[in-house]
Parts: sequence; structure tokens; C-alpha cells
Amino acid sequence: MRRAAALVALSLAALAGSAGAAQDPGPPQPPRTQFVPPAAGTYSLQRIQSSPDATLLDASARPRRLRDLTSGKITLLTFFYTHCSDPLGCPFALGLMSALRDRIAAQPDLLARVRFVSISFDPARDSPKQLRAYARDAASRAGFEWDFLTAPSMAELQPVLEDLGQDVRVEFDASGRRVAAIDHMLKLFLIDPTGTVREIYALDFLQPEVMLNDIRTLRLEERRPSRGISDSGNYSQASSSAGWRITRSAPQAATSSAPPR
Amino acid sequence: MKIKQRRSDSIRAVVAWLLLLVAVAFSVAAAADETCNSPYTAGLIRGQEDYVQVWTLGVEGWGDGSDKLVTVDANPRSKTYGRVVNTLSVGGRGEAHHMGFTDDRRYLWAGGLDDSKIFVFDVGTDPSKPKLVKTISDLTARTGLVGPHTFYALPGRMLVGNLSNSADNGGVTGIAVYNNKGDFVQNYMMPTGTVQGVKGDGYGYDVAINPRKNALLTSSFAGRDNYMRDLGALIKDEVAMKHFGHTMVLWDLKAMQPRRIFDVPGAPLEIRWSLNPNDDWAITATALTSKLWLIRQGAKGEWQAREVGTIGDPAKVPLPVDISIRADAKGLWVNTFMDGMTHYFDITDPEHPKQTYEKHTGSQVNMISESWDGKRIYITSSLLSHWDKTGADNEQFLRAFHWDGKELTPAFGIDFAKEKLGRPHHMKFTARPTGRAAVDSAPLVSAY
Repeated sequence: MRRAAALVALSLAALAGSAGAAQDPGPPQPPRTQFVPPAAGTYSLQRIQSSPDATLLDASARPRRLRDLTSGKITLLTFFYTHCSDPLGCPFALGLMSALRDRIAAQPDLLARVRFVSISFDPARDSPKQLRAYARDAASRAGFEWDFLTAPSMAELQPVLEDLGQDVRVEFDASGRRVAAIDHMLKLFLIDPTGTVREIYALDFLQPEVMLNDIRTLRLEERRPSRGISDSGNYSQASSSAGWRITRSAPQAATSSAPPR
Repeated sequence: MKIKQRRSDSIRAVVAWLLLLVAVAFSVAAAADETCNSPYTAGLIRGQEDYVQVWTLGVEGWGDGSDKLVTVDANPRSKTYGRVVNTLSVGGRGEAHHMGFTDDRRYLWAGGLDDSKIFVFDVGTDPSKPKLVKTISDLTARTGLVGPHTFYALPGRMLVGNLSNSADNGGVTGIAVYNNKGDFVQNYMMPTGTVQGVKGDGYGYDVAINPRKNALLTSSFAGRDNYMRDLGALIKDEVAMKHFGHTMVLWDLKAMQPRRIFDVPGAPLEIRWSLNPNDDWAITATALTSKLWLIRQGAKGEWQAREVGTIGDPAKVPLPVDISIRADAKGLWVNTFMDGMTHYFDITDPEHPKQTYEKHTGSQVNMISESWDGKRIYITSSLLSHWDKTGADNEQFLRAFHWDGKELTPAFGIDFAKEKLGRPHHMKFTARPTGRAAVDSAPLVSAY
């Protein structure tokens, strides 16, 4: 897997170097960051929705409440399946998260306050034993919490996927036989310690510097809940200066009474 | 066994990546209005679209008189090609205007400029028979904003660019954010103060994002007092005619804070970013001054806006309305409402657009959408219920054309007046689901 990742990186570099002529953007490409991200704590993250709950299985086959793994710390959660070979899918996310983990682990203030959660949406193949093998390299970093989960069945997982809007579909070949690949949108969910989703990263927004600043922003918010603009709900420009003032109290995390899906 | 599996995965990953590289390297220059979708939208239709969904304003006495989503079969291989295959009334007239897909493309959000309602249609399950699954009615109560115009997907959310406010029905407005469940998240007012020496007018219209640049661009139009007023009376009202937007705003997308305000006189409307990975520009057209403006990052990283072209004869106020950029950013379609002309500009050099083609496509034309390959062009007629022409010039239609790079040739047309459907406005393409189902709908049969 690492060798594949290295080859992917080399290919990316080659692609970046050869790009020039105007052309169809073609298949999805890994994101590029052509800007300086705003500094942590100078902006607020929206309170998008509450995170769902379910009883899942960890890599030791122990039942785990998802809510216990999406609260109390800053959580970066994603869905995957171990057989995924899409170069811009799960392997890409795994590589990115591993690099992000290393940077977080180097900062004592973040190390104990951040966890990653990876949930398989292919419980038929991804048994706890399969997860252990998959997670061995990714999660092996002393002191860093990275939980790999699967589900007893899709029935337990489907409400979680629906609630978070994680589109997962299967495909069939010409003879009507289901193929092994699972079609899904790559998404990562940043969840604050109260269990509220504060950012969702899709492929076009998987920019490590931005993600790290978002995590730092949540950490600053956690340490200084009543300061800065992090908890502001609504802005209007106050004057001709660059300053902003809060004009409305902070909204609560959006909750749904009648979801369309 | 595990090692073999891992090696196999690695090989598959490398092969897949190489195939991807080859696909990118050999991709032919193509074109599209799929390009106006948010970059976060999944499942762009790069081949033949199956349906054109038309958000249509109700007309009293025409059918049930309500706004409706009209589904038109656009696949030439279909037996119902060029015909209406479904209509879905929302029960009431609220000035149906624009639509936008959620990031997973399963849902289509559509707004009413008058009643400020937002309708959420399921177009993913069966696009030939969309279903209304939710009506969002709390926009004004939550935000004080009126006139939801642009629906632009963020991951798990929808940015809703508005036109007006409930306090005075003027042009000062803002952007609302809803999550994909339809729950309000937050709103951001358009700047009315000064940013780097330029004063904002607070007006809003379109929103468009370039993720690579962390850039959100917004444009500006007019408040409810103007867009719901009879056009003839409006033009004679000198005071009201001053109440049109004349700015564009460049926002820091991550921070959702305005960084630059540009003076762009004459109501800059639709915004189209070039989708070329190395490009750093967006283009817009101004309705009242009939100009093309380029917003581009300079060599030192500083964003600038400047006029780069003229559309028709500005003295005759042709009123450019919708624009559609090719996927390769080499060409731009522009519809001008008043003279019913469809223009094509070569924008290979975006600093110097050159009109290379024009055709009269109707007595009044408004929206224009092209397929990803640029070979099919769709045009609708209605601008706003109180701005459309009257009498014989009040044609209401959807017209499809073939484009061979030199000439627009009619493919099919639907007379929305004769069919008593209404005033057709915004269009979005959908495709039949191909061999897909929820992951739990079928057991996996594979060798493992």
C-alpha cells in the first residue's frame, strides 16, 4: 500500500508538471491548495448537524456506541472499505489521514484531544479480523486514538450513512452480477467534542493545511469558549474598518425533524 | 494470503491511477453547462443527458396555474424524446426561478423569488418522476432574507444566495446556509461597509466557488421591489433604476469573510469559473451595461476585476441574462433577453473575448444550458413573470439545438404556452441511474 501511495505521489507530481493546455478537467483530481489558509482561530466553523448514534463493532469485535467515539474529543470521521482500490478514494484518504495524524501527534496539545474514526460500509467483507489487518499500519502510532469500526450488518449502519449523507451504492455488470467495487463519495467529517459536525471535506476540499487549522480552531474554541468569533452565529460588517461584530446569538447545531432522505 | 491480497490491491491501485492519468492526458477538449454546477457536485453527466428538468413559473389560467417542475425527455434514443414526460406542481405561484443539486446530486433544490419557499425534489431515485420530499419555509423567519436565487452545493450543505430582505424589500441581502436535511445552519450578510477602499452595496445574486483558491465570488442584482415590478414601469422610474447592484465580492470561503469588493456597474449576474486546473479567473456579464467582466488573480496574487468585452449594442440595452461556459473554458454562450439573440464568444484569451457567432433563437430568451460535450444547447424563454414581454412576443418555450461548432440547428422544441405549462426558466440535467442500488439491496457475489 505504501509503495502504491508513493507511485501515486510521483504520478501526481508528473501530472502537475505536464498540465498546461486547456482541457476537459476529466476525472476527479486530488485537491490542490493555491492559497494561504486563514489562521486557526480567526474564523468560525459552521454547526452543520448533530452526529448520529449506532452500535458498531471495533477491530476486537467489541460493541461500541458511535456516540462515545464522536464526543469528548475532536473527531475526524470517515467511511471506507478495505477492498477499495480507487486511487482517489479510500487509499487516498488513508494516506492523507496518516500524514495528518503524524502532524497532530507531534503537538502535545492536540494529541490527547483528537481522534480519528474510520467506519467500513462493507460489513459483509470487512470483519473485525479484516479491520485489524487493515488498521495495523495506519493506527500504529503511540498515544494516538484511531478507531476502526465495522457493523454487524448494513441494517445497523444504513441509518448512520443516511444521517450523514454518505452516498454508498453498488454497481452491477452486464449480466446483472454485483461487482466488488462500491461507489461512494469520499467525505471526511470533522466533529467537535459536543458531537456536532463542524466541517465536511470532500475531495475538492481535502487540503491538509486547512484541515489542521480547522482542528486547531476547534481546539482554541474548546479552550476559550467565550472568546473570539468562533461561536458567533451571524455577522454583519460594523463599519468601514475590517472589524466584524456579532449581531445574533450563536445558533444551535441544526437538527432535523423531517429529513428529506 | 493477506500479503498476496495487499500486493493485488497495490497493483490494482497503480493500474487504476495510470488509467486515470491516461484518461486525463488524452481527454478531448470538451464543453458544458454542467460546468455551472458546484465543484462539489458528484456525478457530472459527461455523456448524453436523459432528462432536462425545467423549473417553470405558473401562469394563472394555464393548467393549475402553479409553479412546477417539468421533466423533458432529452435522450434521442428514447421513444418520448423531446416530449414532456412528467410535471410536478408545487401548488401555488411563488415566482419559480433557479435550482441547484445537492453535493450527491440526489436532490434538486428550487426556489421561489416571491414566496421565498425552497422546494427539495428527489431526482436521484427516478429522474423521470421527481418527487417533492420537503418544502423549506423558514428562510425569511430565520434570516430576514427574501428571494432565494442561487443554490450551490457545499459538502453536506447548500449555500443559498438571496436577492432581497423582508425589512424593506430592497437589494441588501445575504447568503443562507442549510444542511442537506433542510435545516438552517447560518447566514452571512453581504458587505455594506468598506473593504480595502471599496464600499459594498450589500446586494446579492449568484455565488460561485473555486476550491483551489479558497475563493467564493458573489454578484449583485436587485431587491424584491424591483424584480417583482412591471418592467415597463420600472424602466421609467429613475430612482428605482438606481437600485441595482454594482459590485462583486470575493470572499474567503473558509472564513466566509469578504476580502475584496469590486465595482462592476450594471448588475453583474451569473458567474462562471474556468474549470481548467491552472486557470485563475471567472467571468460574468452585466445585465444593464451589456459587458463581459473578468475577475482574475494577478501575478502578485492580487485579485482584480475589469471589463473585457461588449455584448451586442449596449445602447439598445439587449439585457444579457444567462451565460454558459465550455468545460475547456474556450467558449462562452450568452443570451440577451430583449433581442432574443444567442451569442457565442471565443474566450480562448479571456482578456479579449471575441464574438464569433450569433443567432436569433426566440422573441425573448433567457436561460442557456449546454451539455458537457458542448454538442447540445437548451434555451428557455422566461426571465421574470413581470419582466417577460407581452402579446405575440410572449413566447414561452424550451428549445433544444445541436451545435457543431459552426451552427445551431434545431433539435426539438416545446411550446410551454400551448401546453399550458407556464413560463420555463432554469434547467438542470439528470440521467437515469445505471445499475446502482443501495449497498444493502443485493448480496455481494464474488470470490472471497
